[in-house]
Amino acid sequence: MLRAVGVSQSRGEEAVFRDLSVGVDAGEVLAVIGPSGVGKTTLLRTLALSLEPEDGRVAFDGTDAWKADDSERLSLRRRTGMVFQEASLFDASVARNVEYGLRVRRSWRDRLRDELRSIAGSKKHPHAVRESLEVVGLTGKTGQHAGSLSGGEAQRLSFARALAYDPDVLLLDEPTSDLDPRNTAVIEDAIAEARDRDIGVVVATHDMHQAERIADRVAVLLGKHIAEVGPTGSVFENPRDERTRKFISGELVY
Amino acid sequence: MERRRIRGLTVSFEAIPQALAGVLDLPFPEGYVSSIVYVSLYVSLTAVALSTLFSVPVAVAMGFSEFPGKRFVKSVINAGMGFPSVVVGLVVLFAVSNQGPLGPLELVFTTEAMIISQFVLATPPITAISLAAISGVRENVRDAARVLGGTRLDVALVVLKEARYGIATAILAGFGRAISEVGSVLIVGGNITSADGVSKTRTLTTAIQLEARQGQYGTAMALGAVLVALVLAVNAIVVRFGDQGVRR
Repeated sequence: MLRAVGVSQSRGEEAVFRDLSVGVDAGEVLAVIGPSGVGKTTLLRTLALSLEPEDGRVAFDGTDAWKADDSERLSLRRRTGMVFQEASLFDASVARNVEYGLRVRRSWRDRLRDELRSIAGSKKHPHAVRESLEVVGLTGKTGQHAGSLSGGEAQRLSFARALAYDPDVLLLDEPTSDLDPRNTAVIEDAIAEARDRDIGVVVATHDMHQAERIADRVAVLLGKHIAEVGPTGSVFENPRDERTRKFISGELVY
Repeated sequence: MERRRIRGLTVSFEAIPQALAGVLDLPFPEGYVSSIVYVSLYVSLTAVALSTLFSVPVAVAMGFSEFPGKRFVKSVINAGMGFPSVVVGLVVLFAVSNQGPLGPLELVFTTEAMIISQFVLATPPITAISLAAISGVRENVRDAARVLGGTRLDVALVVLKEARYGIATAILAGFGRAISEVGSVLIVGGNITSADGVSKTRTLTTAIQLEARQGQYGTAMALGAVLVALVLAVNAIVVRFGDQGVRR
């Protein structure tokens, strides 16, 4: 569904990765693993169409996003959702945070009408808002200010915010690296729920146990290339690439 | 509740000079103080409103773009915050004088000329402080606004909302500079009252300096009290709105 083909990115003079190809289909979870600083975030931003590749192409159902015009690229971009390592919430209530994605997809007229209803106090939260808050277990916190949430709740809210507008692809950048086991479990359950809804999920993680738990396929990003990509079981149990084997066994330390 | 309080403050503006007039036996012509308050507020609020409409979009545009010479433009704006108001007054006076580019509009010694000079004075602080507030919005919040499907306009609206307290501070700083300023309004406005003592271009500040120079210290003090009360009231209203924003 969403595919990067032969993409390259660099940071200043230095190449982050070269000629890299990776893709995700509907209803599958792809884990991108690799050491810190290897370019997982850059790859996710490239897939989210927020970073133009210096070389190669990013295609959504065969349409080259960077050859499309601005409005078509916006509508392709709107089929993705992204969650960052840091929660990056807006200074507003929990409900308004979750609604953001829905709001920007509405016409200005409808948005204005919604704002007026909100001021008058007669506005009801859309079903999708309640539903995605339910997925991450935050239904009781709808009216609270996002700033009053704990770190784990804030990250769960970030997830709900990206899920609310029902994207085709979810890109998660180390979504649980700062979380305790309980909050990590909630996010992992939410990833499974997203897969059940036929959403393609790409998770960047350095936690190999997590990749093993949640992913259908694994891509190993090492030394500016995808060293290996395949079904989770075979990559972990029987890696074909020597560096992958060393990375998984912990021998390869960056 | 809030309305009542504002009304209460308005009443007290009038009450201060009246009460002091009784105690100090001040020679206030009828409508003198209220006309001065009106001119002060009209000039300052109009200049600040126009400057806000100009400065905030400029700050947003600068905060969202990189261009050669951006640091230079920023340092010019920052330097503008300390620009001497009498020099601004002089330049505006030349601009609106008969030989100046705005000569045909006949603006010398009018409130419009005063608005122009206060606009020039209020714009650097409003732009600079707004820009600082906008630049201070965390990069990852902008990113989130974009990757969740926002257009450039949506991202700009999110950033404006995140920076709202800083922008309110910027507007207050601009208002503070405008309402408390003497030099330029004296030069371009001329500190004029009509024959019956009603202010034409006399503001609280220019009236205070005139009364003090004439030895009317009681009147000057009373007008000073009104000026301080006005500044406090406007700040209180803005802070109150800000608090409501936090609660929502």
